[in-house]
Amino acid sequence: MSALLMPSTNLVEPAPLACAGVSKRFDGSTILSRLDLQIPAGAVLGLIGRNGAGKTTLIRILMGLLAPDAGTATVLGEPALLMSDAAKTCLGYVPQTPDALKWMRVGEMLDFIGRFYPRWDPDYVADSLLRWTISPEKPLAKLSPGERQRVALIRALALRPRLLVLDEPAASLDPVARRDLLREIALRAGESGTTVLFSTHIVSDLERVASHVAFLHEGSLVLKAPMDDLKETHTRLWLPPAGAAQLTGKLPGELRRRQLPDGALSIVLAREAGAAWPAATALPGADMEVLGLEDLFVEITRGFQPDFAVGRQRLRL
Amino acid sequence: MDADLLHVQPSAPEPIYRQIVEQLRRLIASGKLLPGVELPSVREIAGRHAINPMTVSRAYSLLEYEGLLERQRGKGMIVAATRRRPQSDDSRLELLQPRLQEVARQARELGLPDRRVLERLQALLEEHDERIAHAVYKPR
Repeated sequence: MSALLMPSTNLVEPAPLACAGVSKRFDGSTILSRLDLQIPAGAVLGLIGRNGAGKTTLIRILMGLLAPDAGTATVLGEPALLMSDAAKTCLGYVPQTPDALKWMRVGEMLDFIGRFYPRWDPDYVADSLLRWTISPEKPLAKLSPGERQRVALIRALALRPRLLVLDEPAASLDPVARRDLLREIALRAGESGTTVLFSTHIVSDLERVASHVAFLHEGSLVLKAPMDDLKETHTRLWLPPAGAAQLTGKLPGELRRRQLPDGALSIVLAREAGAAWPAATALPGADMEVLGLEDLFVEITRGFQPDFAVGRQRLRL
Repeated sequence: MDADLLHVQPSAPEPIYRQIVEQLRRLIASGKLLPGVELPSVREIAGRHAINPMTVSRAYSLLEYEGLLERQRGKGMIVAATRRRPQSDDSRLELLQPRLQEVARQARELGLPDRRVLERLQALLEEHDERIAHAVYKPR
C-alpha cells in the first residue's frame, strides 16, 4: 500500500485507553465519581493529582486490576477486566512499587518475562542495563528503590508496548535518570505511536513530554486539555476592590474565584483556543497573569483552605 | 544547526512550541541562521531536550507556514531561501517588543527611575557581548 494513502492519525481507531462513568468508594468515602477519560492514540497524557486524589486507584481500574463500583474501563478496545492475552502483550505497565519475582536475578527475570512477549527487544534490555549500570547478575531483592524502578521501566519498554502506563515513574529516580526516562517516553510516542499515561507529582516533567494533561481532584477530572494550549487558554485575573464590586455573577469560563482580604478578586479563567477573554479583563486596574502548570494546578485544587494572607494578618494582631 | 542552540524552559509562561518558534525567528532574523542551513530533525530536538516530538513538529509547521522554514524533499527543514538578508532593525526590534513591554511594566511596578533601568540594560548587553566573544556559533 502506498505510504501516501496511510492517514497520519487514525481517527476511526478507538481510544487505546478509556473509561466511562467510573466510580469507586473505599470504606464509605468516594475516591472516584463518575469519571470519564479517553486517551487518543499517540497521546502522552500526564495525570496530576494531590496525594490521595485517587491516581493509583484510577490507574489500577484502567489496568483491570481493580473492579470499579460503577462504569467501565477499556484497554485497546477490550474491557479492562477481561483483557485478552493478545492485548496484554501490547501493554507496558509500571506500578508505583514494582515488586515481582524478587528471588530472581535481574537478567533471569527479564529473560523469563521476555518469552511471553512476541515483540520483546533483548538489545534494548542489554543497552539499558548497561546505560543505567545495573548488573544482570544482581538479585532483584537487593536492588535499591531507584534501580527497581529502572528495571521495571526496562521491562515495560522492552516489550515495545502500544500502550504504556506509568504510575509515578519518576518518584525514586535521580534527575539524570528522570531526564533519560522522559526522553524515552517522548521518542516512543513520537516514533512508534505509543500511547502513554503517566501520573506524577513533578509538574515540570509533565510540561516537557505530555501532549495532554488532566487534573484529578475530588474524584473527578477537573481539567483536561492539550498541553500546548494550556498556557494560552488559562489565565489568572486579578481585579482591584473597585473592579471586583462591578462584577455581577460568574464570568464566562470562570474556573475558580478567590476573594482576597482587601476586597480584591483573584479569578482563574479558561477560554477556547483563539477566543477572546471576557470584557471584565479590561476593567480599570485589572491584571492578567499567565499561569504555569504548577500554579494552575494549585489554584484549581486548593479548594476552600484558609487563605495564607488572612492567616498572616491574624498573626500580626 | 545544533539542537543545543535552543533553550527550553518548561515552566516559562510561553508554551514550549512558542519558545522554539520565537528563538528560531530571532536566530533567522539576526542572520545567525542563514538561508539553506539545515535544522535538526524533530527527533534530535525532542531527544536532546526530552520534549514531546509533536511540540517540535508544531513549531516547525508554524514557521514553515510563515515562510521562514522550508521542508526539503527527503530531507529535513532548512532556513528558507527567500530571506537573503537579515531583516531591518525595526522588524527585529518588533520581535523584542513583548519582552520590553513586560520590563517596562515591571519597572513601573517597582517604581524604578528610567535611568537606572536603561543603565542596567546597557550593562547586560555589554556583558552578553563579552560572554559570547569566546563562544562564537559555527555553522556545520
